[in-house]
Amino acid sequence: MRTARVSVVGLAAGALILTGCSSGGGGDAGGVSKDDAAKQQIKYEFGDAKDSTGPAEPVKGAKKGGVLTVYQRDSFAHLDPAQIYVSDEGSMSTLIHRRLTSYKRDSAGKYTVVGDLATDSGTPSKDQRTWKYTLKDGVKWEDGSPITSKDIRHTFERQFAPFISEGPVFIQQWMAGASGTGYRKLLPDGPYKGDHLSDKVLETPNDKTIVFHFKDPQPDLPYALGMAGYAAVQKKGDTKEKYDKKPVASGPYKIESFKSGKSMKLVRNTEWDAKTDPVRHQYPDSHNIQFGVSFEASTKRLVSDSAENQTAVSYSNQVDASSMQSVRSDPKVKDRSLSGYQPYVGKISFNMDRLKNKKVREAIAYALPAQSLMQAFGGSGGGELAGNYLSPTVAGHTESDPYGKVENPQGDVKKAKRILKEAGKTGMKLTFAYQNSPEWSDFSIAAKDNLTKAGFDVQLKDIVTDTYYDQIGKIKNNYDMYHSSWGADWPSASTVIPPTLDGRQVQDGASNYSHYNNPKMNKEMDRISKIKDADEAAKEWGKLSDEILKKDLPDVPLMYYKQIQLHGSKVGGAVMNNVISGIDPTQLYVKK
Amino acid sequence: MTSPSQAAIAGAETPGPDGAGLNSEPVDGDKAATDQLGRSPGQLMWMRFKRDRTGVISAFVVLIMFAIAALAPVISWLYGKDPWTRYGQIRPGLLNDNAYPVKPNGGMDSEFWFGLEPGLGRDVLTQLVYGMRTSLSLAVVITILSVVLAIVIGVAGGYLGGKPDYFLGRLTDLMMSFPNQLFFVAFTPVIGALLVSPQDEMPTWLRACVLIFVMWLLGWMTLARLLRGQVLTLREREFIEAAKVAGTPPWRIIRKELLPNLVTPILVQSTYMLPNFVTGVAGLSFLGVGMQGSTPDWGRMFATGAEVYQSDITYMIFPGVAMVIFIVAFNLLGDSVRDAFDPKSGR
Repeated sequence: MRTARVSVVGLAAGALILTGCSSGGGGDAGGVSKDDAAKQQIKYEFGDAKDSTGPAEPVKGAKKGGVLTVYQRDSFAHLDPAQIYVSDEGSMSTLIHRRLTSYKRDSAGKYTVVGDLATDSGTPSKDQRTWKYTLKDGVKWEDGSPITSKDIRHTFERQFAPFISEGPVFIQQWMAGASGTGYRKLLPDGPYKGDHLSDKVLETPNDKTIVFHFKDPQPDLPYALGMAGYAAVQKKGDTKEKYDKKPVASGPYKIESFKSGKSMKLVRNTEWDAKTDPVRHQYPDSHNIQFGVSFEASTKRLVSDSAENQTAVSYSNQVDASSMQSVRSDPKVKDRSLSGYQPYVGKISFNMDRLKNKKVREAIAYALPAQSLMQAFGGSGGGELAGNYLSPTVAGHTESDPYGKVENPQGDVKKAKRILKEAGKTGMKLTFAYQNSPEWSDFSIAAKDNLTKAGFDVQLKDIVTDTYYDQIGKIKNNYDMYHSSWGADWPSASTVIPPTLDGRQVQDGASNYSHYNNPKMNKEMDRISKIKDADEAAKEWGKLSDEILKKDLPDVPLMYYKQIQLHGSKVGGAVMNNVISGIDPTQLYVKK
Repeated sequence: MTSPSQAAIAGAETPGPDGAGLNSEPVDGDKAATDQLGRSPGQLMWMRFKRDRTGVISAFVVLIMFAIAALAPVISWLYGKDPWTRYGQIRPGLLNDNAYPVKPNGGMDSEFWFGLEPGLGRDVLTQLVYGMRTSLSLAVVITILSVVLAIVIGVAGGYLGGKPDYFLGRLTDLMMSFPNQLFFVAFTPVIGALLVSPQDEMPTWLRACVLIFVMWLLGWMTLARLLRGQVLTLREREFIEAAKVAGTPPWRIIRKELLPNLVTPILVQSTYMLPNFVTGVAGLSFLGVGMQGSTPDWGRMFATGAEVYQSDITYMIFPGVAMVIFIVAFNLLGDSVRDAFDPKSGR
C-alpha cells in the first residue's frame, strides 16, 4: 500500500490579512503520549465462531436515524471491490461490501480477525495449505437473494480477469504459486469464457462451504481475506467493468446515487441483517458524501461546527499540518478530534548500488534529524519518531532503536562526522532526492544542514509529487538517497519486510527502493513466512528487521505516520480504527 | 515629453526655487528668472523634487530599505543570529509540540525580535533582511538589464523606422504575449536538465541567473514601446532635422540629441518597474519556483505565512508590512520623480 499522500497544503487565499495578533503557541499542546501508544499497541487475534456471531457490540448511547454528511477529498475511483486498494475507498467499502473475514475492534481497542460472511476466521489444515470457510445463514445481497459459495467462487475467479488491475494480488499469487503477475496465467480470462478454477485450488462442495488449497502454507489468509479488495461480488449481478460504478451491496448500506467527483448517497440496505454481522452497525438513515473537499477545507468546516457541519464527519480527510496547532490548542475542537496511527513508516532509503560503504550510510543515519520531519508534518499529531522498520500498527513492533533516532531526535552530527572521517569520505557528494511538497522541502533543508555539518557535500534534488515514486522506483536512478514510505496491508510484518527488503523483488517500480539484496536475509524471509504460529512469526519478523537494520542499514526509519481527524459535535461513535487507518464509518451515529 | 529647452521654459513658469511657491511673500520675478537661467534641467528637477514632501519621505524609505538589504550581514552580525540556523529545532523550549512558537505573537521576545518561523524554527528578522537582499538585488539587476534592452530596441525601432521598426515592433508584441510566470515555471526545469547534471542540485547562482534571464526577457517590452513612441515624435523635430542636415552621424544624434530627451520616461518607468519586479520575483517564490531551500527569500516567506496564518498571523505581518511599505514608497517615489521632471503633467 504505497502512500499516495499528495500532501497538498493549500496556499490560502486572503494571504495578506494583516490584522490581529496571534495568541501564541503555548507550551504543551497535549495529544497522544506514549501511554496512549501502548494502548494502541496492536494485537490481532483470530476469532472463533463466538467472536464472529452478530450483532455487533452496541455503541454506547447510539440512536438510529439522522443523516450524516461526509466530506472527502478524492472521489472514489472504484466501487468494484476487486479494484479497491486505496484506503479511503476501503473505508467506504466497509459500509457496502462484506468479506469472508473482517476486523473487529472491541471497546477496549483490541482487534480480532473474525468471520464476516464466514462463520469464523477460518479453519486451516495442519500444514496451513488448506483453509476451510463456511458461510453464515441469513447473509443476503441487497436484492434479497442469499450469498452463496458460488458468489464467493466468482469473486475470486474474476480477480484473474484482465480488467481487474488495481486491487491486491496476494491471494491470486498464493493460488497460482507464482510471484509478480505470473498468477494471471492460472485463469487468463477470469470466469467469463467458461473456464473456472479447479477444485485443487478453490473448492465449493456445497452452497455454504469454500475451501482454499495453496501450494505453500499461508498462515496469513484470514488477514488477507479481510482486505476490502477481497469483498464478495454477486455472480448474477456482475456487470464486469460496469460493476465499478454500480456494485451490488451486501453491507448495511447501499448506493442510492453516485456522481463521480461530486457526491454519493448511501442509504440503508434493508436486506442486511444485524444478527449476521459482528462488526457493523446501521445507525444513520443515510450517508451523504461530498467529494472535492480539501483537507484544509474539511478542517475549517469541522472546526467551525456550524449548522450542517455539526452532523458532518470525514472517513479519511485528516487535519492538515498547518491547522494542527489551531485544532490541538482549542479544547472545544480537541474534544472532537481523534488521533491515531497510519500504517506508514517514513524512511530514507539508500541507493545501495551507489552507497556501498556501510560507514557512509551509518554516518547519514546518525546525522539525519528525525524530529524535523515530524515537525514538518505538524508535530506529534502528524507523526511519531521511529526507531525501526516496524510500525506500532504491525504485530511484532518493538521499541528497538539501534541508531538512536528516537533517543536523539535532532541527529548526532558529531558522531556522524567521526564515522565519516573514519571511512575517509569526508566531503563526498551526496544526492538527496525529495518530493517537492512543503513537508519534505522543510525536512530537506534540515537534513542538508545536518549532513553538511557532518561533512557531506549535499545536493538536493526536488522531484514533482506526481512522478516521485516513478523516479525513485527506477533501478538506475541518479540519486544516493530518497525518502519512501510503506504501509502494511494487514498487521503482519510479512506485508512489510518482504515487499521492501527482499532482494529478489528488485525491479523497476518495485517497492524495494534501496535495492537491498542479501541472500541470507532472503532465505530467512522465506523461512519466517512459513511459520504457522502468528505470535512466533511476529517475533521473528521483528528480529529479522532489526538484524537487517543493524547489519546492513538499507533504509533509515524516521517516522511512524499519524493523523488527527475531526467530527462534528452531533456525531457520535467516532473511533479511530487502525485497520482502515481512519474513523470507522460503521460505528457512527447522529446525536439528537 | 519636453525637450531641454522647453523644460527650461516650463521650469520658469512654475514657482521658483527657494520656497517661492510655499512662501506667500512676492518674490522679484526677474531675480527668479535669472536664478533659473543658469540651471540645467537636472538641477531644476532636483529643486522641484526637494519641495515634494511625499517624494522625499518615500525616497528615504526606499533608501533605508535598500540599506537594510545591503547591510543584511552586518545586521545579522550585530544581532547575533543568522537566517540558516534552526534555533527552534535545535534549542528545546522554543517550539511546541506542533512546531509552532511557544511564546505569543509568533515567539517574539528580546532574543528573537520578530519571532521564529513555525516548523523550521529559524529567526524571522534575519530571514527577512536576507530575503530582502535576495529579492532586491535580483530586482535591481533585472531592472537595469531590462532598461538597457528597452533603450536599445525602442530607440533603434523608433529612429530607424521602416522594416527594422516593423520587425522590432512585432518582436515586442510577441514577447508581450508570453505569460511570464507560466513561462518561468516551464523554463526552469528545462534549463536545469540542460545545464545541471542529474545528480547535482541546481546551484543558487544558476537559479538566480535563470530567474534574472527570464524576468529580463519578459520585462523590457513596455518601456521599449514607450521609448519607440517618444523617438518617433522626436525624430521629426527641428533640432534633430538640423543635426541631420549638419551631417551629424546617427550614433551621435542618438547619444547627444535623443537620449537626453528620453531620461525622463526612462527614470520614471524604471521606478515603476523595479517594484513590479520585486513583486514578480516574490510571486514566483510564492508559487515555489523562485529561490529554493535554504536561500532566504522574501516571497517564500509569504508562502510560509499563507500556510501558517491561521495559527501564527504574526509571521505574515513582518514580510507583509515590509513589502507593502516598500511597494507604496517606491510607487510614490516614481510619481514624485515624474512630477519633478514634468510639473505640468498629471496635476
